[in-house]
Amino acid sequence: MDDKPKVAERERLDLADKLRRAEETLRLPAVPPREHLPVESHVLQPGQQFRVVGERVTRPDSRLHGLGLTRYIDDLSFPGMLYAKIKRAGIASARIKRIDTSAAEAMPGVMAVLTGREIPVNSFGPSYQDQPVLADEIVRHAGDGVAAVAAVTEQIAEEAAQKITVEYEPLPAVFDPLEAMREDSPRVHPPNSNIYTSKVIRRGDVEKGFAQADRIFEGRFSTQMVEHVPLEPHAAIADWDANGRLTLWVTIGRITLARADLARTLKLPMNRVRMIATIVGGNFGGKNEITQEPALALLSKKAGRPVKGVFTRSDEFISTTTRHPCIMEYKTGVARDGRILARKVRLILDGGAYCSWSETTIGKACILSCGPYRIDNILAEAFVVYTNKTMTGAMRGFGAPQVCFAYESHMDDIAKALGIDPLSIRLRNAFEEGSVSPTGQVLHSVVVKESLLKAADRFGWETRP
Amino acid sequence: MPDVTIIVNGERRSASVPPETTLLKLLRENFNLTGAKLGCDVGDCGACTVIVDDQPVNACLMLAGQADGCRVLTIEGLAKKDQLHPLQKTIEESGALQCGFCGPGVILSAKSLLDQNPDPTPQDIREALAGNLCRCTGYAKFIKAVQDAALMLRGKAPVQSRRLEASEPRHG
Repeated sequence: MDDKPKVAERERLDLADKLRRAEETLRLPAVPPREHLPVESHVLQPGQQFRVVGERVTRPDSRLHGLGLTRYIDDLSFPGMLYAKIKRAGIASARIKRIDTSAAEAMPGVMAVLTGREIPVNSFGPSYQDQPVLADEIVRHAGDGVAAVAAVTEQIAEEAAQKITVEYEPLPAVFDPLEAMREDSPRVHPPNSNIYTSKVIRRGDVEKGFAQADRIFEGRFSTQMVEHVPLEPHAAIADWDANGRLTLWVTIGRITLARADLARTLKLPMNRVRMIATIVGGNFGGKNEITQEPALALLSKKAGRPVKGVFTRSDEFISTTTRHPCIMEYKTGVARDGRILARKVRLILDGGAYCSWSETTIGKACILSCGPYRIDNILAEAFVVYTNKTMTGAMRGFGAPQVCFAYESHMDDIAKALGIDPLSIRLRNAFEEGSVSPTGQVLHSVVVKESLLKAADRFGWETRP
Repeated sequence: MPDVTIIVNGERRSASVPPETTLLKLLRENFNLTGAKLGCDVGDCGACTVIVDDQPVNACLMLAGQADGCRVLTIEGLAKKDQLHPLQKTIEESGALQCGFCGPGVILSAKSLLDQNPDPTPQDIREALAGNLCRCTGYAKFIKAVQDAALMLRGKAPVQSRRLEASEPRHG
């Protein structure tokens, strides 16, 4: 028997070494050294003015971008700052029976846990306030947040979010917009119908137009869901201070609207909320509304510390807004020479689980759905429907790219069937100075034909192979 | 926690970090060099590109420990007090950056290309930037900016784009 008990061999450091290490750990972080900031500058001096018209101009912030010194949300940090993670439902349609956060709360390093029931007014949205900050009773799509955690590191927050258990009672779900329009389909927001917004534009008599037409063409077009994928994910820092004032650093493009929405969800007077818009690392319409900000604010209130939340790429895809998938039905009556006499359009926009900017999108899509063409008889109907999918909202063009794809594809089909050159049929029908839009607006400075001719000339339309 | 020592932008720096720490996290959180960005965390977007021993790498995919003893160049180490790097200059002038989030990664990928190939063709540039995603301006301006920077680095003046004169007809 060895009477000397084995003692684990540890690295022994002398005092000086320990102090060195401690000093290194505590040492002030390195910042870009002063000599790395170039002295030459194109920045305007006070009183100086640039000529801009006819000159090449550079962005005022591109110097900082190129130096890597632009500060986005994730580049900011504050003393004592915590990191937040949101637990996603992972189920498309369900009733929440129970949320157990005790295991998460017991974890060392977890400073606050939040569920939907603790949010003063758990709903928001730019047109209809139909979206919860964190789902409290009903989950309507898999990306719905159900709980949020703030912890001293991102890793602990992530682990704690995984330890939260949610008991669901699955509910019937609907994923196809056409199916969702039927009266007998499961309702996403009962008792309301799944068709939550519609728009109709009528001009002339579309049936009379079809009766006069030599040929009638029908086409059905559809587009898919698109995510904005800004390179910088949604990010925010919330700091609820001891005076009951809330400061938020956000990447939102519309901060005044976001501030009003946020004050509403938190039942705070707006003058208690200070919202600081940092530079946005790509928006494209996806950062036009609040997302996690009220949850971060309440986590900060609970923990008494600033809280940062940065979405992962997967959060971006499943929980933030996307472009509306559209089903677009076109019926067009044309004369033998290619003149359009009547057009009937029916648009069905898949709105996902919440309204977001669908009202704006449906408006624009419907108004533009007949294309830049002179048509006397028009009937355009558009519907947005709820489905148990990631919600759709604002994205560059608000529905205009979808309908453009449809009416231009339809136009090509018509030209081909009539044996008319695709450019000629467009020139025959295009808006002119003083043309009237489907909604009755008299148009001025119209250069559709000039643009088409110029473009055709530039890319060699006549000499194409 | 293991010690990691790297020579970052010419300066020797060490930190004690948990073994799962990525190089990106080490640079951003321990050394406060926030120029390299976290975009996707899986090596798809290239916003975290830094140059490690002359090779462009996705810092989100490299562990800090793997970079131990290496020379690391981040965007913060590119400009000198008296001048910008030609790439920073041409990218600023060409308006290739809008939101700027992809910029540091693009510039470092391009620098690495120009270090190895002082006269790249547009195709060479496309291939070198294939790992850097941009959602704002697209890639045409980057290609032009890298070509201009290559000319500047070889001591030639870049071909200036034609300026629009007020008297010149716009559609001519």
